[in-house]
Amino acid sequence: MIVDKIKKREPTAKRTENKVDIQVGKWIKCDKCKEILYKDDVRANNSICPNCGSYFRMHINKRLELIIDKDTYKRFDINIDTTNPLNLEDYPKKIKGLREKTGIQEAVSCGTGKINGENVVICVMDSGFLMGSMGIVVGEKITYAIEKAIELKLPIVIFCVSGGARMQEGIISLMQMAKTTAAISKLNEAGLLYISVLTDPTYGGVTASFASLADIILAEPGAMIGFAGQRVIEQTIGEKLPEGFQTAEFLLEHGFIDKIVKREELKETIYKLIKFHC
Amino acid sequence: MQKKEDSGEAIAKSMLEMSKLKVPVIAIVIGEGSSGGALALGVGNRVLMLENAIYSILSPEGYASILWKDSSRTKEAAEKMKLTAKDLYELKIIDKIIKEPNGENEQENFIKTSKNLKKEILNVLEELKELSPEQLVDDRYQKFRNMGEYKIL
Repeated sequence: MIVDKIKKREPTAKRTENKVDIQVGKWIKCDKCKEILYKDDVRANNSICPNCGSYFRMHINKRLELIIDKDTYKRFDINIDTTNPLNLEDYPKKIKGLREKTGIQEAVSCGTGKINGENVVICVMDSGFLMGSMGIVVGEKITYAIEKAIELKLPIVIFCVSGGARMQEGIISLMQMAKTTAAISKLNEAGLLYISVLTDPTYGGVTASFASLADIILAEPGAMIGFAGQRVIEQTIGEKLPEGFQTAEFLLEHGFIDKIVKREELKETIYKLIKFHC
Repeated sequence: MQKKEDSGEAIAKSMLEMSKLKVPVIAIVIGEGSSGGALALGVGNRVLMLENAIYSILSPEGYASILWKDSSRTKEAAEKMKLTAKDLYELKIIDKIIKEPNGENEQENFIKTSKNLKKEILNVLEELKELSPEQLVDDRYQKFRNMGEYKIL
């Protein structure tokens, strides 16, 4: 009986703990070293675990703060919403709730800004918004940003983090891959510099479109990057995958990315690349 | 440095090259087309589709498993996903549905379907013949550029 009661109580206890820790609490647990950390310490450290050095995912605003010169970011005036093409019942509600919770409109923010004084077009994705998935709004904003870079003759930097195409919008999400890719082909023709930065995790339709098409592809240490998930690949080919498969380090070794850059060195590296090329 | 095969980059590169082609491109969905693998070959000026083919973001099994964490809801997923030729025509993802006659003689059905397809390919080529190489690239760009209607917030 007592055992039964304990078992029954467990899930509730866990839920409360999660809620306190992650949503409203001041503490956060590092997935890697399991250390309980004071959130402000983590934030002050560029969202890097002060104990083991592993990376937390970054909010759009924190990322912009890290990369773009203070008060120079101007978000493009493009405020759009999905039309919910599959007429899913819960989807619009979910989007609305996420807007309130995260304080951002969608999984990407695009605009212009300066990096050590150099003008750029910048797009930053956010994993906190439906895992950074690309639907109509993300596809449109990225495409718009690329077209703006062409119009303004500026280099473009895209920070990627995504689970892939947004399932809730079905095939229209898939088409955003072709749409963003076609925009990249115009960017190439215009001869402008495009740098993508792959952060943990970058998967699916984003990897299989604009993320992989940059002139220079950077990645953060330890980021997981791929098209299909490892479990799916293993089940499909019936083979074990090599160790470290889909890590940034593995991809660097196999020529898919050009450089792994520590978070605190990203701004300087991007600045130097822009100075060198433009 | 030697590159190991990776489907993500391959799909991206294939779409990029297709976007740049200066000749008419016709993509035809003839069976089950899904995810990036299908789209990698799908960046055409016109996209045709056989009446009974399907074209989707993912297999219904995968879709149910990702969205609802329940792969047994395959049938429901297939209904929701809008993956039939008729649905995709309404969504303006495809341009033309190729009729597949459904008579008793399978071989005859196949021949008739092939004839329908051939006729449509020739029609499209005739139409696209009018466009210059630059116009063809632009026509393809505009087609995909306009995919995904949105609302203003």
